[in-house]
Amino acid sequence: MKSDRKDKKILGVSVRAGLLVVIVAAISLEATSIIQYIYSQRAIKQEASLRAKSELKNAENKIMDVVDQAEAAVRNSVWVAQWCLEYPDSIRRIPHRVVSENPVVVGSTMALVPGYSEKYPLYAPYAARDMETGEIRMLSLATEKYDYPSMEWFTKPLELQDSYWSEPYFDENGGDMLMTTFSMPIKDKDGTVAAILTADISLDWFTELVDEMKVYPNAFNMVVSRSGQIMVCPVETLVMNTTIDQFAMESENFEGFDRINKAMLSGQSGEMPVRYKGQTNHVYFSPVERTGWSLSIVLPESELYSGVRRVSMIVKLLQLLGLTMLIVILRVLAKNQLKYHNLNEQKKRMANELHIASEIQMAMIPKTFPPFPERKDLDMAASIIPAKEVGGDLYDFFIRDEKLFFCIGDVSGKGIPASLVMAVTRSLFRAMSAHEDSPARITALMNDTMSESNESNMFVTFFCGVLDLAKGHLRYCNAGHNPPMILTDAIRMLTVAPNVPLGILKGMDFVEQETSFNYDDALLLYTDGLSEAENASHEQFGEARIEEALHGRKSSEAHLENIKQKVSLFVGEAPQSDDLTILFIHYLGNENKKNYHLTLHNDVEQIALLPEFVETVASLVKLDPEATMNLNLALEEAVSNVIMYAYPEGTDGIVDIDACVVENRVTLVITDSGKAFDPTAKAEVDITAGVEERPIGGLGIHLVRTIMDTVSYERKGEQNILTITKTY
Amino acid sequence: MEVNITRENNSITVHFSGRMDTPGAQEINPQMNALAEEANKTIILDCTDLSYISSSGLRIFLTLRKAALDKGGKIIVRNICDSIRSVFMMTGFLNLFEIQSAK
Repeated sequence: MKSDRKDKKILGVSVRAGLLVVIVAAISLEATSIIQYIYSQRAIKQEASLRAKSELKNAENKIMDVVDQAEAAVRNSVWVAQWCLEYPDSIRRIPHRVVSENPVVVGSTMALVPGYSEKYPLYAPYAARDMETGEIRMLSLATEKYDYPSMEWFTKPLELQDSYWSEPYFDENGGDMLMTTFSMPIKDKDGTVAAILTADISLDWFTELVDEMKVYPNAFNMVVSRSGQIMVCPVETLVMNTTIDQFAMESENFEGFDRINKAMLSGQSGEMPVRYKGQTNHVYFSPVERTGWSLSIVLPESELYSGVRRVSMIVKLLQLLGLTMLIVILRVLAKNQLKYHNLNEQKKRMANELHIASEIQMAMIPKTFPPFPERKDLDMAASIIPAKEVGGDLYDFFIRDEKLFFCIGDVSGKGIPASLVMAVTRSLFRAMSAHEDSPARITALMNDTMSESNESNMFVTFFCGVLDLAKGHLRYCNAGHNPPMILTDAIRMLTVAPNVPLGILKGMDFVEQETSFNYDDALLLYTDGLSEAENASHEQFGEARIEEALHGRKSSEAHLENIKQKVSLFVGEAPQSDDLTILFIHYLGNENKKNYHLTLHNDVEQIALLPEFVETVASLVKLDPEATMNLNLALEEAVSNVIMYAYPEGTDGIVDIDACVVENRVTLVITDSGKAFDPTAKAEVDITAGVEERPIGGLGIHLVRTIMDTVSYERKGEQNILTITKTY
Repeated sequence: MEVNITRENNSITVHFSGRMDTPGAQEINPQMNALAEEANKTIILDCTDLSYISSSGLRIFLTLRKAALDKGGKIIVRNICDSIRSVFMMTGFLNLFEIQSAK
């Protein structure tokens, strides 16, 4: 639950960070696309404006071309028309000629001013081009249905006395089509306007022309006449039916239309926006000279920007896709981070557990130095530096019966498996050395146990030593470990027999060796982590350097620190590759050691020699008479047993008594070559028992135990060795 | 090791002098075994001049004490020095014997 909540919290932080990234990315993308959109819009608008204007100009030119042709057709016939005024019958040839010679002209008339000719009070012969056959038909406009003197094309030029372009109109009963007419007054010799000569232009053609101006597919065009009549428009019902004024008033949907209307009607050119049904349309307009018409292109903004909108839509989609991908990536990253975090947590937990394991492991070995502050004959220092959190090296030591039991070992491999084997090895050492004094026996017993259940085929190189502190006598057994260095007058390797390491084969025999220690001699035990410590260039520290570091007389602590410092300097930044263990034993016994020896034969009378011997020993420790007597008693009890029972009756046997006095400690060693007999194996007598229950025997060993501090028996070879000690 | 035995009425006084170590005890053992036959009487073991005793000597004392218990006699240990007293203490003999101090 807890870790779940933690996960969520971590995920939450990641999600928040991710969200922030996404938001920032989205904002910056949106900002760029908006700016791009605005600039594109502007460019497009400019482009559209240019195109519209050029189209307008183009259309205007085309219109002007037609207009010019129509005007030219009329003007070129003016002098003939004037001449014809005098011959009214020939008048009808004029419109025919205007039409036949000018393809743009669809109809023409020369209408006489009513009353000018007496012969023809009303006369208007009309030439019309049949749009299908191309034939030119002659009609008369001077009919009852078609009252030509009232037509705009007639009245206006008459009134203005000048040429005139009519408003577009449907010429009913005349040309019968939508048209506009150029009219020119024809004056006679007297300068009086006698007739009006016209040329009609079909507006069908005009629509076609204007249609070509399409700048964009959905753009449309409008042409309005001078008076505001809608001439061209996509809504055909409006054409010729509505003025732009009316349209502007009726169409409330258009905003800004009236302004355009005014501008167009006053012959201006330019562009203006107009809103229709919520849509902005751009209107470009330009007047056509002489006719007074106004051309316009109406461009819906949606159309204008459809391209850029499409592009921006695509860009938006891509952005969305990108952002989605970003979110997906961030999510994956967050999950990975979580995984990584969890892995880290797990690692931390494992490290913590390893740390605890390390503490447990370190608690197994003696870590307090000096370990025996009350002892003046022993100065020890030790250090274990695992390469990893837990290591496979070990050392251990303790004192029993005035003997220092010590060992050093190196388990094959490193890490947790090695550390477990190390723990087992240490426990076995303690168990086996509790009652056994021989290093070889201890080692053999340990080997048997370890070989029995060695599934993982791990082994331990092991050195085990037992130092008799009183005598300075060292017995040791080396099971495949690197030989320790012994510091006497010189520094040398301790000679070791080639025993196999522990855990390899059950039932192996181990060779025991021995040597003597004198005052100030020392022993350095170490694991290959010291001799094989490597520096960055893979050089090994080596025995020579160890030896060098050991020169000079120092305390154990100082020696240890010196070696550690030298190794550390040598190794430098290179990582520690193996556990490094050092055990330094500095022997300071024997200095004031006094040895006394007494050899007795197996004759009870010889016991009489003991008091003098004991007196000598006691005087060294300055014992009072009672203590002297007790020491005598203990020795006698130990010796008398041997004298009386060790050797078969009638044979001569020897009992050796070695007394060793170091300061205030007395050690007595009784050695005989008789039959094996362990007096310490005897049951303790019950000194509270009554007379009846009291056994006669057993008091001797009881007294020895009571008087002395330690009593230990050992069968070594063919000898019984009983060691009793007492510190006064 | 010297032993001096004096008999008065119903009591026997055994005066030890010297060291009752293993050879000493062996030396006096026959006399003491004989004395055990008379354990129906009061036997006073005078240790005034006894300077030392080992387990062999203690064994003799214990043998006499057991004999006295059998025969209805009495053992009195008289005048033990401090060092022997400490041996008695160590062995629990102080509880087994009636100990009399000098005069």
